[in-house]
Amino acid sequence: MVHLLSSDWTHLRLSPRLRAPIQPGRSLGRICIHDWPRISKFLGLSARVRGARRPFINRASSWANKNEFRSASGHRFMVSARKMLQQALRVSCRSASPLVKWMERWAECASARPQAVKPLGDMPGPSVASFAWDLFAKRGLSRLHELQLEGVRRYGPMWKASFGPILTVHVADPALIEQVLRKEGQHPMRSDLSSWKDYRRLRGHHYGLLTSEGEEWQSIRSLLGKHMLRPKAVEAYDQTLNSVVDDLITKLRLRRSSQGLVTDIASEFYRFGLEGVSSVLFESRIGCLDKIVPEETERFIQCINTMFVMTLLTMAMPSWMHQLFPKPWNVFCQCWDYMFDFAKGHIDQRMAAEAEKIARGEEVEGRYLTYFLSRTSLPMKTVYSNVTELLLAGVDTISSTLSWSLYELSRHQAVQASLREEVLSVLGGRRVPTAADVAQMPLLKATIKEVLRLYPVIPANARVITERDIQVGGYLIPKNTLITLCHYATSRDPAVFPRPDEFLPQRWLNKEQSHHPYASVPFGVGKRSCIGRRIAELELYLAVARILLEFDIKPDPEGISVKPMTRTLLVPENVINLQFTER
Amino acid sequence: MALVAALRRLSHASLGFYSWRAAAATPTFGAWITGQRSFTVGSQPLRSDKVTVHFINRDGDKITVKGSPGESLLDVVINEDLDIDGFGACEGTLACSTCHLIFEDDVFKKLGRITDEEMDMLDLAYGLTDTSRLGCQVCLSKSLDGLVAKVPESVADARQSQDG
Repeated sequence: MVHLLSSDWTHLRLSPRLRAPIQPGRSLGRICIHDWPRISKFLGLSARVRGARRPFINRASSWANKNEFRSASGHRFMVSARKMLQQALRVSCRSASPLVKWMERWAECASARPQAVKPLGDMPGPSVASFAWDLFAKRGLSRLHELQLEGVRRYGPMWKASFGPILTVHVADPALIEQVLRKEGQHPMRSDLSSWKDYRRLRGHHYGLLTSEGEEWQSIRSLLGKHMLRPKAVEAYDQTLNSVVDDLITKLRLRRSSQGLVTDIASEFYRFGLEGVSSVLFESRIGCLDKIVPEETERFIQCINTMFVMTLLTMAMPSWMHQLFPKPWNVFCQCWDYMFDFAKGHIDQRMAAEAEKIARGEEVEGRYLTYFLSRTSLPMKTVYSNVTELLLAGVDTISSTLSWSLYELSRHQAVQASLREEVLSVLGGRRVPTAADVAQMPLLKATIKEVLRLYPVIPANARVITERDIQVGGYLIPKNTLITLCHYATSRDPAVFPRPDEFLPQRWLNKEQSHHPYASVPFGVGKRSCIGRRIAELELYLAVARILLEFDIKPDPEGISVKPMTRTLLVPENVINLQFTER
Repeated sequence: MALVAALRRLSHASLGFYSWRAAAATPTFGAWITGQRSFTVGSQPLRSDKVTVHFINRDGDKITVKGSPGESLLDVVINEDLDIDGFGACEGTLACSTCHLIFEDDVFKKLGRITDEEMDMLDLAYGLTDTSRLGCQVCLSKSLDGLVAKVPESVADARQSQDG
């Protein structure tokens, strides 16, 4: 960390969101290592840095950008800023390790001559055999999120590894993730090779929003984005979602034991997730939260879980292993078959009801997503695959986040009490919040942000840049390389988030405690980011607010601490039991 | 290919569905001078209701156009077919920050409340300032007549100037 010692700095604001002036001695955050030559050149100095894990700073890079921008209008400002910085950056050197000293020299040299771009071959990383050993013999597939942390420790912010037959470059630094995401083209691609795409090709299904690319993807995204992401469109779902939350509350009451214990809350939240996404997709209810759950919905949920386990396994297995062990791929296909059938059944049922209405001369006007999709000239196969993918995307995501939220709130009674107070004060006597209400609940939003920082449902995302080779972190990455964005590692990075493993929602409310904006992006960024984000957020806000109004949440007296595990998505490793006391 | 063609047709389909890309590709010669042409569905307001907007593009060029009250600045850019590279990538769905614009202090104060969701997206913007907003969330009103919106430098520009 670079620390400021001069009072000259008090006039400068580093982050535009930082309304208070900077005090001497305050940390600037981190500067990306690769920005350093440019910044030190700009400052005309060589800073001595204190022994942080990665010594340079990010905020100052955005500061430098800002001043470059301003210099167009006020050159004088930049000159005086440079002087001030030279004077100001007398940096303390309390624990200067040899590494840090080396870094200083490196920074000085690097500022003098441009750094050479290294080829992919120079990038560190585990050998094919050792990574495969980690994956298959040491339960690596379910610990992929932990392997990110290990990767950072062993190789730094970038390393390469062979995931089965696929070579992938891992990027685990917020500034580098930002660089990659800023280079995605007009039609960003997540991954070119995937077992999901293989299955669809094999069965002759069409691609849905998660699997399609290019123009095909763009047209569906444009159509659905309008109905799923625009703030005005999302607000309109609050009544539909509230009726699902009503059922969840009833179901939780039903599930409580005499002591108030509800076992395996995630299983109930799976049903809640599926019911919620169905209500948005079909504008009708499918009974997941009824007293007796329809068998087909249970099986659908089971299929999603198994499919996610098999996704990683089938992708990590080289082709010769598939011939030796055909079972994973077969199970994977059976799960998808069931999910496609399930979705098709519900769509056909809905369309038939609609057709009947039209036949009776009634007017049909739907506000649900399947309706919007079916009213286009899209082939039905495309509608089926899109609805299947939207259905499955709304289940684990909601379930895990809601489970972790209540788990953490039960272990942090003070936060739970403040949050309940916030909900009560906004509602002012009412019992059911609306979209407009939750918009006024900053602690509720901060709580969900903090939960998603600790337990990002997508622990690693991916990008393939197809247009051109790109330069990231001093390496030249050839086009079509699979780039893994290690979100779990960045959102638990102690250099970005102090006390990274602790649940501290307040960190999101403290405007002065800023962090790199790309360090925690649980929904992704940009035009290929999660299309269900706003609906999911609303669903979570409405559910958490209502649950806190109805119950006090306490940990299971005999409960253990629960860790996350990777199942393509990040989910709780063990069952979570919680005590729901009526208020 | 048949699927692609079908999807293309979809972009012109009924239901008021309207493709931004198609709109961007539609020639609108002179549109930005007269400000008469609008793609927005609905009745065409009278010319006197129009709001004048000045954009300062990345190269420093000032582009003056007119928009209707209620339209967002992103709508104006699309409707007037302004050539701003990469602007509005997510089509106004608050999923990216490519329609980032910078305002003068006094104008910024008149733009209305910023939602938390917009603030979060702005944090991801390149070259963020104190008076930054997302063009898709700023709606025109008569009181904003004559506003100046500066398009910030993009990452690519910064890299070029650094190399140069």
